[in-house]
Amino acid sequence: MSMHLEEPEISSAVAGLELKPVAEEHLAACLSCRQRVASMRELIDAQRLRFEAEAPDWERQRQEVLLRLPSVLTAGLERRRWWTRPLLAVAAVLVAAIGLKALWMPPPSSDPMAGLELPVEQILAEVDAMLADDSIPGFELIDPGLDDAIFENGAS
Amino acid sequence: MDPSRSDLSQGDDALVMRAANGDREAFGELTNRHQRRVWMVCRQYVGVDEADAAAQDSLVKAFTRIGDFDRRAAFSTWLTRIAINTCLDELRRRRRAAPVVDEPEDGDGVGVLAQVPDGQAGPEARSMQRQAVASLEAGEKALPPRQREIFRLRFYAEMDLEEIAEALEVHVGTVKTQLHRAVHRLREELGAYR
Repeated sequence: MSMHLEEPEISSAVAGLELKPVAEEHLAACLSCRQRVASMRELIDAQRLRFEAEAPDWERQRQEVLLRLPSVLTAGLERRRWWTRPLLAVAAVLVAAIGLKALWMPPPSSDPMAGLELPVEQILAEVDAMLADDSIPGFELIDPGLDDAIFENGAS
Repeated sequence: MDPSRSDLSQGDDALVMRAANGDREAFGELTNRHQRRVWMVCRQYVGVDEADAAAQDSLVKAFTRIGDFDRRAAFSTWLTRIAINTCLDELRRRRRAAPVVDEPEDGDGVGVLAQVPDGQAGPEARSMQRQAVASLEAGEKALPPRQREIFRLRFYAEMDLEEIAEALEVHVGTVKTQLHRAVHRLREELGAYR
């Protein structure tokens, strides 16, 4: 390339964008084009340095940031709050459901046949109790004096 | 990403993990590493008077939200995004409070231009450079907002193109195009000074 770089190519070089290989070669070889790029960059650097001159004392700023940080515990809660709330609600419902079930239902047996068999011992105990109870009316029928009374009156 | 930036990013990861467990010292080191850029980003959005407060707000927000950092981007990029959002929130708040000015800048810039470093230049060269910087500043203000934003992030916050794309959530091709247009337009505006 014998001619100098065009304005768009100079702008690309200033911005640090990729140039075509032939433009790169020219820039490397041409003092005039390099100066065009450099003078614009110097101007931008001057502006950046002006901003940096306005910057605060970094250590002071760091200390002020650290003073403003919430406590470790608070920070942890802040981080967890958004997802722990629904989880805690679900956990509370589960615990309540398990508690109610434990109150109203007998504990599960480890014997797989337990649910299929009759509670023999319980039935026998109930039968024994029933037999021992004299107040149950059914047993009066076998009272020998009762039949006599009925037949004597001729009516039931 | 250059090697030093990669090293910094790897070093950041360990500090981020410690900070996420509430280690304030680790966050202090992260602040030490990135506060300059955070401040420079804030300086570009909200102006010099509010830059310090906005930078501090951004860093405190980063600490409280560090558990949300998912490592898809570098920590510095994530932090820059927080800084940008903090500044945009501040600008929206200001706009609601009082419908003002496009830019909270430095008036005519004459006072601050006296601070422009001038090296060994003589009075005439210094004067020329100050005029050129003033023209650059005026030209920047005349840029479309997106071009101005990208130009400033690139040259004053010294972010690379991929980082700008991630921070602004745009394609890197968009960043290149807007940056090229911004530089080209500024060169046209500057005319004799460039």
